[in-house]
Amino acid sequence: MKSKILYLLILATLVLSACGAKPAEPSVVKAGWAGSPDSLNPGLAVLVEAYTIFELVYDSMYDLNLDGSFTLSLADSVTRSDDGLVYTFKIKEGIKWHDGQTLTAADVAFTYNLYKDTPEYPYLNGYYTPYFSSIEANDKNEVILTLTEAIPNLESQLVFLYVLPKHIWEGVNKLEFENLEMVGSGPFKMAEYVQNEFVRLAANKEHFSTPPKVDEVIFQTFENQDALVQALKTGQLDMITEMQNTAVATLQGTENIEVVIGAPFSPGVTDIIFNQTAPENCPTPDEGGICTGHAALRDRNVRLAMAHATDKQKLIDLILLGLGSPGLTLIPDGLGVWYNNSLKDYEYDVAKANQILDDAGYLDTDNDGTREMPDGSSPLTFRLNWPSDSITAPRTAELLSEMWGEIGIALEMQAVDPDALTSQCCPAFDFDIMIWGWASDPDPSALLYVYTTEAIPTGSSETGYSNPAYDELYAQQQTELDAAARKDIVWEMQKIVHDDVVYIIPYYEQATQAYRTDRFTGWITDQPKVELSDTTSLVVIEPVK
Amino acid sequence: MNRSRAILRKIGWAFFTILFVVILNFFLFRVLPGDPARAGIRDPRLKKEAIEMLRVRFGLDKPVINCFEALNPIKLGSCAVNPLDTQFFIYVRNLAQGELGVSYHTNRPVADILSERLWNTVLLIGAGQILSIIIGVIFGVFAAWKARTAIDFTSVVSSLIVWSLPTFWLAIILLFWGSNNGLPLAGKATPGASSLPLLQQWADIGRHMLLPTITYTIVYMGEYTLIMRSSLMDVLSEDYILTAKAKGLSTFQILKDHALKNAMLPLVTVIAINLGFTVAGAIQIEAVFSWPGLGGAVFEAVGRRDFPVLQGAFLLIAVAVIFANLIADLTYSYLDPRVQTE
Amino acid sequence: MDTTAQVTEAQTQWIIRLLNFWRIFSRNRIGLAGLAMLILLIFVAVFAPLIAPYDSSSSASVKIGDVYNPPSSSHWFGTDDAGQDVFSNFVFGSRVSLTVGFFAAFISIIIGGSLGLVAGFFGGRMENFLMRFTDIMLVIPDLPLMVVIVALTKPSLLNIIFVIGLLGWTTTARVVRSQTLAVKSRKFVLRARAVGAGKRHIISRHILPLVMPILVVQAVLVVSLAILNESALSFLGLGDPTALSWGQMLNYAFSRGAMSIGAWWALFVPGFGIVWVVLGLTLLGQGLEQILNPRLDTHHLMPGRPIVRGDAGEASEKNSLLEVRNLSINYVNNGKPPARAVENISFSLKEGELIGLVGESGCGKTTLMLALLRLLPSAGQIVNGRVIFNGKDLTTLSEEEINVVRWKDISIVFQGAMNALNPVRTVGEQIAEAITKHLPGFPRDQRLQERVIELLDLVGIAADHKDHFPHQYSGGMRQRAMIAMALACNPQVIIADEPTTALDVMIQAQILELLDSLRKKLGLAIIFVTHDLGVVAEMCDRVLVMYGGVTAEYADVDIIYNDARHPYTQELLKAFPDLTKPKKKLSSIPGYPPRLDALPVGCRFAPRCPQAFERCHREQPILHKLNNPQSAAHIASCHLLEASK
Repeated sequence: MKSKILYLLILATLVLSACGAKPAEPSVVKAGWAGSPDSLNPGLAVLVEAYTIFELVYDSMYDLNLDGSFTLSLADSVTRSDDGLVYTFKIKEGIKWHDGQTLTAADVAFTYNLYKDTPEYPYLNGYYTPYFSSIEANDKNEVILTLTEAIPNLESQLVFLYVLPKHIWEGVNKLEFENLEMVGSGPFKMAEYVQNEFVRLAANKEHFSTPPKVDEVIFQTFENQDALVQALKTGQLDMITEMQNTAVATLQGTENIEVVIGAPFSPGVTDIIFNQTAPENCPTPDEGGICTGHAALRDRNVRLAMAHATDKQKLIDLILLGLGSPGLTLIPDGLGVWYNNSLKDYEYDVAKANQILDDAGYLDTDNDGTREMPDGSSPLTFRLNWPSDSITAPRTAELLSEMWGEIGIALEMQAVDPDALTSQCCPAFDFDIMIWGWASDPDPSALLYVYTTEAIPTGSSETGYSNPAYDELYAQQQTELDAAARKDIVWEMQKIVHDDVVYIIPYYEQATQAYRTDRFTGWITDQPKVELSDTTSLVVIEPVK
Repeated sequence: MNRSRAILRKIGWAFFTILFVVILNFFLFRVLPGDPARAGIRDPRLKKEAIEMLRVRFGLDKPVINCFEALNPIKLGSCAVNPLDTQFFIYVRNLAQGELGVSYHTNRPVADILSERLWNTVLLIGAGQILSIIIGVIFGVFAAWKARTAIDFTSVVSSLIVWSLPTFWLAIILLFWGSNNGLPLAGKATPGASSLPLLQQWADIGRHMLLPTITYTIVYMGEYTLIMRSSLMDVLSEDYILTAKAKGLSTFQILKDHALKNAMLPLVTVIAINLGFTVAGAIQIEAVFSWPGLGGAVFEAVGRRDFPVLQGAFLLIAVAVIFANLIADLTYSYLDPRVQTE
Repeated sequence: MDTTAQVTEAQTQWIIRLLNFWRIFSRNRIGLAGLAMLILLIFVAVFAPLIAPYDSSSSASVKIGDVYNPPSSSHWFGTDDAGQDVFSNFVFGSRVSLTVGFFAAFISIIIGGSLGLVAGFFGGRMENFLMRFTDIMLVIPDLPLMVVIVALTKPSLLNIIFVIGLLGWTTTARVVRSQTLAVKSRKFVLRARAVGAGKRHIISRHILPLVMPILVVQAVLVVSLAILNESALSFLGLGDPTALSWGQMLNYAFSRGAMSIGAWWALFVPGFGIVWVVLGLTLLGQGLEQILNPRLDTHHLMPGRPIVRGDAGEASEKNSLLEVRNLSINYVNNGKPPARAVENISFSLKEGELIGLVGESGCGKTTLMLALLRLLPSAGQIVNGRVIFNGKDLTTLSEEEINVVRWKDISIVFQGAMNALNPVRTVGEQIAEAITKHLPGFPRDQRLQERVIELLDLVGIAADHKDHFPHQYSGGMRQRAMIAMALACNPQVIIADEPTTALDVMIQAQILELLDSLRKKLGLAIIFVTHDLGVVAEMCDRVLVMYGGVTAEYADVDIIYNDARHPYTQELLKAFPDLTKPKKKLSSIPGYPPRLDALPVGCRFAPRCPQAFERCHREQPILHKLNNPQSAAHIASCHLLEASK
């Protein structure tokens, strides 16, 4: 009976599909992703999908390359004053907005002032403008940017400050403006946007440096990643920016499909957080401090033993299906030069872990399988929490519970709603262990800040870790203008926090993307980072002849 | 006179229910644990000032309500504040102006987001309901007419089976099936289809609607089959059917002129009550097929803890269901002469 | 008072009740199938550690190659995204899903049951308030509300159970309330209240036992809904990730790429579990429901059984309009021997004649009348005899041919016209329908309406009632409307099946008068069925007295009244007041007519017959033709007649 209905309905489809004639053939790249931009207003957007679109539609002062380096984009040249406080950018002549108007230094200055003066723009204002003192445009089409402090990483501060057309943004309410027309200057123009359905971009063939070879790019939203993979297989899509790791093997074996695996463009870190807040560092009740962490976790020996008892390769194998590398600190390998690749990880050695705990006096005196504190007061039973919207965390938790069980450490596991987790986390420090994660900036500074004592009451520090030596190094790297010297400091800092076992970083995830080889050619896949939806690829690909 | 009073009472009752939902909707999101302020902006990298700024933006810095002694155990409201400057008053005032707040996630007015999506859901539920009712009624009529035959048994058992199918599971299975048969797997339209002629646009939407609608139809037709069967069985064993048969009417005439309308009447009420449940189905179907409807909005909002959207969607869904019930109620009393003149 | 004795008494009562219930239930195939499915599952859940080949909580031995392995001998249903055995997870998942289902349903049933009981029992404002509240909660879509609440709170199993339980009680409350209302007005409850029993006592001893069965059915359905809801919540990512229910397994599989790797087993198996348990519960619920609310499951459109025509002999009276010869009708009784509802009945009817068919309820009168037009319910079967109308044997006609005879030639006025008219169509329409069906040439314009008005006028109903619905008519009017409808196609015969039973005396008289005058005016032949001998006395030409499906006596009306020979006829006459003998003592016949499926061996009236003797209990009397000078035919079946002959 049911099959009959299906049959009837299929007939109906056939009829419907017969009606649809093929449209004319401009070269259209159909990309699929599992998200959708949250907002087209750069000040308000949070999601990576939105930034992908900004990257294509807008230009900024610098381009971030797939190897982690920066190139000057909107300006012909930049000069820095000797004290490192004043930068002068000479804006290129003849750059046009998508609506035909000319892009000038005035637009740039207007944009930077907009970001600087709008504290309601949580990211662009909070992260990238705190060192801005003033921005002015002069009549030589130059932008003069004055800083409050000499900082070493201005490129990474400017790379996400997309330059907006003054003639449009001047007159709008900057908090409510949805920016649906998105007049920019980048290699693609906004053609059509339906939130949660698709973004259609048309090529800006007049772009001053990188005019695309294709005519259009469409990003279509799929709520689930399996449908995304299926759509690529069936040819409904030409490229996908994400997939389940389980799909990699299948797609690798599929004709006309190339899977690209590598460090993500904006790498994320998954971390296992130990609450090690010392009582003297606990934020005041006014600041929200509760500090109920288990005392044992303040002991480096316990954390070290747990690190030795953590089989990272197994986590990578089971959670990521092997598509990741063991993690060290919050600075992922995706950050290129900033990543300290000289550190040696704690080897997986249960016997050694047990030995460390035995030596430190944590013994299982009552023979219930769980060790107690040296003074016998309480067992090494830790609360383990993770955000309930994470699909990998419960699997990780299960595995950790087993691994740590081997060394007499028990876990009480509970998924917690993300906002509840936030209020447990920081600066309340009302937890023992959490599984959570960070997104990273191209510059290591933001993630390094997380380890500082200063960050404890602000809610940025998740561990309550405090080390004056580290704090000092942090301050140094903030102002070290010499890149090589700064790198050394950053590496040293990583060594400190790794030695102190502040976190266990189970792995650094790899990005997995794929494209159809029979549709477009020229995708950039040989760089250290992988991002097919980045401008670098989309402006050079062309249809397969 | 009597009748219009009854109608007025029903309408009044519907509005009272909506009022209840409005209040419930507000307090659900304020009383339950979990600070809505932190939910949408949970990135711990945000500086305190930025969070405070966002709280102000979303109106969360204001007291929830003015002095509410009865609710004191849960520490709501303080008596010192201006009642017009409370979240509750602002919520109600905004509602009255058709505003549902601003999405934490997209920063767009919730009312805009939902109104875009409402019609997609109406389209899906409408098509699914109509199909499942038609198919359910047909099977139900056959099952009842051919009661205690193999046709009847097959209809009943297969109805019970499809009734037992978890909606999302069936949707996944069909997605699996559809993915191997070249059907579109996500969304409502092929991107760029808006430049096509109208007819082709509709065909395109039709193709996208196919799998969600089939899922919807299969899940709900079983119930309609069973209801129609039992309703028609009741009618067909009534004396007036014997009268009709004695009048020499053919089986077809009896079914058409004497049984169907009578048997369909209870269905009207069931359909309306079902609407509440079908919304549940829509959420699951839209989540699987990335259908840009209200259900999909709920699914996404849950994933991102975008409470204003969740709140608005819940309110909209509840109000829609209440209205549907009201309309069904009024339709019923219009259709059934027995109620009409009571 | 000895309370322990009371308790045990109550306990034995319960046990007896349960045993009785099981006896009935064990015959219900749907219910049994559901129960079997459920028991199997509960067995799996209880013995999960013994059944599952792997410990689902351990990933100790899992390696990278173990993820999403297809079914094999070591993993019957393959492995999942964490490399765990799907079958083992399925087995352990049954525990979680059933736990959620049962506990949530428990909460719902307790809440819904008590609200329903309280509202139904106490009534008044309390009821009004509770039911209004229930209505509100019923209208609010429950899954979105659950989603909201679970999203706002911790997604622990306990929370989910509470949320599902706290929102799933509405239908239960309504069902229990209406059942309580129904039970409350039963005699024994009223009696208990009258003697001043306490409310708690009444609820627990009298009402609860009768509400319980319906609560059980409801519980079964609520459990299945709870399981479905839990799986939907889990799928939406709101489940407890540490409790691997089937919904959670699906969530993992769906969100961790089972589809793109083609791992159908990870998607199919847990879904199958949900379908299994929900289907089992649904079937069980259906089975219980069928037992609690038994329905005949038959209706008027089911095909009749094939007619068997034995040797009925030739028509005897050449000039009769309708002749019934040796008509026998059985009711098929699945498995058991058929019930002989009508046996060997013969009578004839001339134009303009009125024959009375008399007997108590359950004597087969209506069955006989329905058989004339082949309107028997599907269990009824003509097993012998003929119905000859105008020379045509109606039992040989096809369904299409008999449809032409129905109403056009022979129409019926049913008893209880309240239900014999379609409530949602106007009376006028229903009359006009008969005309257009049988007189296809009749103009469908104003003249049709005029004809309807004319017919209504004939039975004394004003024209403006034409467009009214049956419920707007009084009982007598409906009956008259029925008669008007029966006259619509100018039939030659009208069968009036107890047209006056439900009416008061005044109206009865009017209807009878009407029929009689119409007979005279239009030359109708009428078969008048009644259990009241008195009614027919004035109008009938002949009377057929039926008892237990057979002819007791058949004669002209005068003979019946003055020279009844069958004891049953005599007893019936005693039960009817004779105006000419005002001092006569009225008496009713003790006992009831026999059940058709348990007819006595001998004379069917013997058990109640004041004159019965030994032979009557042994041997069924044959029909005796009596030679009465005043009557053409006088037939009776009684052993006494043999003696007198």
